Amino acid sequence: MPISFTNVFYTYSPKSPLAFAALKDINVTIEDHSFTALIGQTGSGKSTLVQHINGLLRQSEGTIDVNGFILEAGKKNKKIKELRKNVGLVFQFPEYQLFEETVLKDVMFGPKNFGVNEKEAREAAIDALSKVYIDKSLWDKSPFELSGGQRRRVAIAGIIALHPQVLILDEPTAGLDPQGAKEIMDLFKMIHSSGTTVIMVTHDMNNVLEYCSNVIVMKDGRAVKVSTPIELFKDDETIASIGLEEPMVISFAKKLIKKEINISLDEVKNEASLALLIKKGREVL
Amino acid sequence: MTNFTLGKYVPYNSLIHRLDARVKLLSMVIFMVMIFFKFASIPMNFIVYGILFIFMYIIMRIAHIRLISLFNQMKPLWIMMLFLFVINILMPQSKDGNFFELWKGFKIYYISIINTLYIVFRLIIMLSLTLVLTSSTKPLELTGALEWYMTPLKVIHFPVHEIAMTISLALRFIPTLLEETDRIMKAQSSRGVDFEHGKFKEKINAVISLIVPLFISAFQRSDELANAMEARGYDPSAKRTRYRISKWKVKDTITLLITLIFLGGTICLMVFNVDLYALIMSLCA
Repeated sequence: MPISFTNVFYTYSPKSPLAFAALKDINVTIEDHSFTALIGQTGSGKSTLVQHINGLLRQSEGTIDVNGFILEAGKKNKKIKELRKNVGLVFQFPEYQLFEETVLKDVMFGPKNFGVNEKEAREAAIDALSKVYIDKSLWDKSPFELSGGQRRRVAIAGIIALHPQVLILDEPTAGLDPQGAKEIMDLFKMIHSSGTTVIMVTHDMNNVLEYCSNVIVMKDGRAVKVSTPIELFKDDETIASIGLEEPMVISFAKKLIKKEINISLDEVKNEASLALLIKKGREVL
Repeated sequence: MTNFTLGKYVPYNSLIHRLDARVKLLSMVIFMVMIFFKFASIPMNFIVYGILFIFMYIIMRIAHIRLISLFNQMKPLWIMMLFLFVINILMPQSKDGNFFELWKGFKIYYISIINTLYIVFRLIIMLSLTLVLTSSTKPLELTGALEWYMTPLKVIHFPVHEIAMTISLALRFIPTLLEETDRIMKAQSSRGVDFEHGKFKEKINAVISLIVPLFISAFQRSDELANAMEARGYDPSAKRTRYRISKWKVKDTITLLITLIFLGGTICLMVFNVDLYALIMSLCA
């Protein structure tokens, strides 16, 4: 079942001089098993939107339906814990939420909170840690002894170990080196291909093009465009009006097309696919 | 957590907001002293508290502070008040005066109930005083005022500037730490921590999962801040000019006068042992 937002509004500190309308009339549906990117400038409401999906923030108006869990404005949902078990949210800079004595214990923390017994939690943790390439030798170390990138991966493992149906990532690659960012994106791709719906807040258009199947563009608290990545990047006007930066391969491909090299933009995904297309274009010539 | 307003500046442009921070600080201290005066009789004490509270209420109205935010601040203090009440009842300061017997041999002195009420009233007035000061004065102005009052201490080589700087930094980081707390709470809630319900042991675990990351990030922040200051060549002993120069205006003089009238009035009432309550009673009779 999909995740759908109907007329959702959200205002921070309402009825005060600091009141700020972060979401305005959001009507969006995120399909099951999709890999959706949420893009937009800082302060456009992306993070606010995703925090509604597992009930961390409660909308001021409107209805949200997450795989059958109905969240209504002003009403408490008693099954919120069950919802959170199904919707894993990885915050921005998640490495700051580690606190346990050992890496393994920290990853087990989530599953145990949701009532999984010690043994199964351990198995889930070990499985998640090996998925994020954390070596066995690090499992019994304190999370604070690890490097920044390793800590990030441990924190992500802490959410993956919950086996959520929906995985939400808030700028997962921020502050990582290119190699680490790629590893992590490949991990999400793998999780997605195993049937999980992935929603990712990001500023990196290259990742949007390469990994995502859908994209939602936010501007000043509104969802201004919902489409596939390639449709968005073909639309020069929208890109300019929202102040987005094209993925590198797209702008390169567009320049090549201007030079009359025959490339179909729809098939451009990353450097490798672009190179193949260029090769094909030449053969035609 | 979001309606936690202690020490948070609220940007209105009221008369109270525009007053000089120095006069606000001095008035607050004087009023705090006034609360601890002891007057002729028990009803007289309550009359003075009542007058002070009405005065504070008017000030709060002018400064756009709603009564509800005062009560929100009281919330964490209820337990303390209850504790004081129990202690006062179990250990009365004096065993004279009237009492009633709750059950055999267990006497409750009226004086101990009244003592508790004193404390409650004092707390309410003190809280409203600090609330007015902190929500109408920018932390920087406040520190500026503190520094101004401490200037004479420079003669005895008291580190006035360093202390002012430390205080302003501490004040500056209260909202930041609150935001951080909110963020970590949300992150841990996503991992299934329930901060509101649960057994005692679960609550302890919940608090640990909040406190450890909070402390670590606070230490990290202070470390980074120290480095950033160092990198900009901060020298605590250097002679510095001010960006904001506060000017004493007529309204500041008037405020000070009002405060002094209150102080003089209460001192007179105390010294001459005026009992308004007895006076009114005798007039009625």
